[in-house]
Amino acid sequence: MKKQTLQRSLTGFWWLTLFFLYVPLLVVVLFSFNAANSAANFTGFSLRWYQQLLGNEEILSAFANSMVLAIASSAVALTLGCLIGYGMYRHRHRKLGWLIILIYLPIVLPDIVFGISEMAFFVQINRLTGLLGPGLLTMIISHVTFQIPFVALIVYSRFVGLDPTLFEAAKDLYATPWQRARFFMLPTIKPALISAFFLSFTLSIDDFVISFFTAGPESATLPIYIWGAIKKGVSPEINAMATVMIGAVAVAAVLSLMFNRQGRQQ
Amino acid sequence: MTSSLTAPDNATPASETVHADYPEDSASRHKASTIVLQGLEKRFGADTIALDGVDLTIDSGEFFTLLGPSGCGKTTLLRILAGLETPDGGRLLLGDKDITEIPPHRRSVNTVFQSYALFPHLSVRENLAFGLRMQGISEAERNRRVDDIADFIQLGPLIDRRVDQLSGGQRQRIALARALVCEPEVLLLDEPLSALDAGLRSQLQVELLRVQKRLGMTFVFVTHDQQEAMVMSDRIAVLDGGIIQQVGPPRDVYERPVNAFVARFMGHDNLYPVTNRDGSALMTDLGTLHLTTPPDGDLLLIRPETLDLLPGEQAGDNRLFGTVTECLYRGSHAEYRLEVGSTTMQATVRNCGGNLPAVGDRVTVVVSTDDLVTLNA
Repeated sequence: MKKQTLQRSLTGFWWLTLFFLYVPLLVVVLFSFNAANSAANFTGFSLRWYQQLLGNEEILSAFANSMVLAIASSAVALTLGCLIGYGMYRHRHRKLGWLIILIYLPIVLPDIVFGISEMAFFVQINRLTGLLGPGLLTMIISHVTFQIPFVALIVYSRFVGLDPTLFEAAKDLYATPWQRARFFMLPTIKPALISAFFLSFTLSIDDFVISFFTAGPESATLPIYIWGAIKKGVSPEINAMATVMIGAVAVAAVLSLMFNRQGRQQ
Repeated sequence: MTSSLTAPDNATPASETVHADYPEDSASRHKASTIVLQGLEKRFGADTIALDGVDLTIDSGEFFTLLGPSGCGKTTLLRILAGLETPDGGRLLLGDKDITEIPPHRRSVNTVFQSYALFPHLSVRENLAFGLRMQGISEAERNRRVDDIADFIQLGPLIDRRVDQLSGGQRQRIALARALVCEPEVLLLDEPLSALDAGLRSQLQVELLRVQKRLGMTFVFVTHDQQEAMVMSDRIAVLDGGIIQQVGPPRDVYERPVNAFVARFMGHDNLYPVTNRDGSALMTDLGTLHLTTPPDGDLLLIRPETLDLLPGEQAGDNRLFGTVTECLYRGSHAEYRLEVGSTTMQATVRNCGGNLPAVGDRVTVVVSTDDLVTLNA
């Protein structure tokens, strides 16, 4: 009897969690199809807000910025994070604790602190050299810094999961160092790399705080645009855009999971 | 890379080679090389000495086994041959080349790893072709050689499988084929059968031996199993503490061990310190025994299978009296533990259908003096 009560309340808690997690998303999706310009009453189905979205130059440019930022930063973070992950694996027998803490610090640091420091840093650089004015480039650099630890960790754990004699077998079978990278390491960790790319992509699309502090006047991303627009009130247009973003991020997250799992199964 | 890897006769059409024999030209194409180790030393850290001055010559076409307990240095020695470890001192010659400093990917030496180390992202065929591909051998030539080796090792139906769909025995054979297809001057095998169950293991022992004899390739085999070493090897080197204790054919090492370590490692328990001697007469805890030649060591080895047991006490030269304390009946033979003198000894008696002594029986142990060996502790 007692056990049953516990089980029931746990089940109830589970549904409550799901409710607060996903119903808000459903509300946004639902109201993005609202015919009326209202966040309270659903009057009928319409795609007008999506049409309006496609006609809004500002939104389209924010979307383009978001995509450029996410793809460019993920690509750079993938390259650097992959090298760090391999380096961590190669030197795993040495004491690298302090180095790893250094790399992981950005993960635990509050975004706002990180964002403010990035901004202050870029302002100083810009003042002294005239380079790195606020814009897409500064945003890409800051995004790369917080994406790297995730990539490095994924790559590192994939290498750790491999039989270490595989590296020796590749050497033994006449592979030069470059051939080992090209024909053994890269193909072996490919699923992990794809997974890391999509994770970085999602993190970048998701980010508001750090982007906000490092953006320039021309480089507003979608989250920055939404934040600006929302001060004038929530419009169904924003709902439509949010729906598009939910869809995009969900696809990237699922792809990331899929490739990660595929990699583990090998 | 070396002459053994370039086929002088690659005009042989693939269709002519579809049978279980490895193509005729492989024997002539293949060059087995002598390996010479001169004063090899290897330390790990400050106080772990893995190899303490190893001198050894392994003849071309020989099945040579490095035998010893774990930590004796046998695997380190194999890894130095492969180039995966660099010695701290000494030289390594392959044929007439000094290869001490040559990295593994430029040595005509291939390894069958204990864990097999098959590439998980590649199919069986791609795994087999890996070494050839890295050497820049053309695809047509690669395919021909992979097909030949697959026929030879009888892997045919597995060739397009993924590695994770294979059993342990199949992986082992693919690891062997992957190394053989490169036609190295020396093939190294690091306990390749230790992960397999007993039945499969003895089957693969025979198969491995057959492959080696047919190809005439130099095999260097590492194992801790003295039975396996004796079955397979032309010669055995017994290692302990980074030092070679004895090198010789299996019969020498088993029947004439040079010291107590080798004797014990080869499975001998009947070892008795010589307490006193008088010419060719040896006094031990068993009693007095007479040797045909004067003894040169202070430890007497009596192999259990050279002993004969007679019922009761029947006096004679080199006969000991004892009591049976334990009997293990094995079908083809029986293993006895006896109390003799102030100590115990083991005797193995073939079961020829006659009476076998039972526990508690008083017996006469007939010692054959020709088979007595004295050695140094």
